[in-house]
Amino acid sequence: MTFSMKRALAIFQKDLKDLSKNMYIGSTVLIVILLAALYGRMGEVPLEMHYLVINFVFAMVTAFIQCAIIAEEKEKNTLRSLMLSPASMNDIIFGKSLVTFVVTILTVVLCAWLTGYQPADILPIAFALILSTLFYIALGTILGLLSKSVMEASVIILPVVFIFGFGSFLMSYVEEYSFLAFVEYLPSVQLIELAYEVEEGLGFGDLWFHLFIIALWVIGSAILTIIMYKKREMD
Amino acid sequence: MDNVIEVNGLAKVYGNQTALADLDFSVKKGETFGFLGPSGSGKTTTIKILTGQLTPTSGEVKVLGLPFSSLRTSEYRKRIGVITDNSGLYQRLSVYENLKLYCQLYDVPLTRIEEVLKTVNLANEAKKIVSKLSKGMLQRVTLARAFLHEPDLLFLDEPTSALDPVNSMHIHRGLKKLNEKGTTIFLTTHDMSEAESLCDRVAFLHKGNIQIMDEPKQLRRKYSDHTLRVELKNGKEVVLANNSEGAQELYKYMSADQVISVHSNEPTLGDIFVEITGRELI
Repeated sequence: MTFSMKRALAIFQKDLKDLSKNMYIGSTVLIVILLAALYGRMGEVPLEMHYLVINFVFAMVTAFIQCAIIAEEKEKNTLRSLMLSPASMNDIIFGKSLVTFVVTILTVVLCAWLTGYQPADILPIAFALILSTLFYIALGTILGLLSKSVMEASVIILPVVFIFGFGSFLMSYVEEYSFLAFVEYLPSVQLIELAYEVEEGLGFGDLWFHLFIIALWVIGSAILTIIMYKKREMD
Repeated sequence: MDNVIEVNGLAKVYGNQTALADLDFSVKKGETFGFLGPSGSGKTTTIKILTGQLTPTSGEVKVLGLPFSSLRTSEYRKRIGVITDNSGLYQRLSVYENLKLYCQLYDVPLTRIEEVLKTVNLANEAKKIVSKLSKGMLQRVTLARAFLHEPDLLFLDEPTSALDPVNSMHIHRGLKKLNEKGTTIFLTTHDMSEAESLCDRVAFLHKGNIQIMDEPKQLRRKYSDHTLRVELKNGKEVVLANNSEGAQELYKYMSADQVISVHSNEPTLGDIFVEITGRELI
């Protein structure tokens, strides 16, 4: 499978322009930013709250934007045109993910600034945030490939927002309900635990387990994305 | 390479339904080949297999010298174009922005955009947002997109369905220009007049099988009843045999200045299709 940076960037530029004219994407980003601004005005924001906003960005912005732009391409038959062009699967997925990646990073940085989040060590946090972004992009791609329309995408994304965005809330029920044990391994929960450990002064060497778990989610979702794409490429 | 497309024993079965059964045909370089048949006859299935979107159940396919296993590569897709009745254009972007994306994907200079828009008579619409275009204009933009990289082989799946005659004419003119530049065209349609005006050869597809394949002119001759229809000034119409006896009779009418018009009684492709398959082309 080939990769052409030129083609991937062409798709990225197109998506950037298309997204700038897309009302529902703009309003989704705005809602999350407003939420962050609201929390920011509440004074001292606990770490849990910072990550509620950040995980909400991943579920509502990252996964949703990616899911919606892929679903729209399917609905309008433009994905088929792209697939029939010389753009390879790598060009298309990379190009389409890059715009979501940029929007996510900008939104996370803006939200962190609005809530006043200043991590004790920026490097492991940045690394974990980038890994998480990749996972949610892959998740959005899978859901977008599963959806037939933007309308369907906006419904299919709801469980994702609930499980991944608010998964940390379920942690208090894990002891009571053993079937919820998986919640502990959700990337959103791992991200929060990593953030706490960073605040306790732990470095990369002590954080590897959380990063490893998030990386496993990235690899698993990436494999599933490739399988789904290959299926969609064929009728 | 004389044949751009070579298909041998091609079959496609969905569950217990046969979409294509043992197809054999070839398309020569520079030819405009029409695949004609009613809805559900297997036309789109054939295009999907030839463009690598669908795996055949059995049979052998070779397009531009490449086997089926190579039909999903960038190298193959650089050399082909596909136009369906669904434009696949980005609605929120302008005509120019849509074509710019494909210039970049096909590695074609942006100066081509102006040229191709002139060819499809849309030179003044470059800045127009796609969602504001009529169906006919949309299809012309899709054609312009196919013109950008001047493909070796262009697949058209019902390109003018639901278009008015003026827009269909624009599309046909564009296709003829592209064909003159060397592009081989594989066209599926159920519009017989479209097939007659564009195709060098046609194949009638019915129930997943090719019933007959030839030049439109040859088919009409073959299925002609070899008579002439003569319209006379007295309001009558006579049918004459297309032979020496008929010629003598026609001479009599013409000497007497009785003739308004003379037509050969050749059937249309639609008539021939009905005669062969026993069903209409809808």
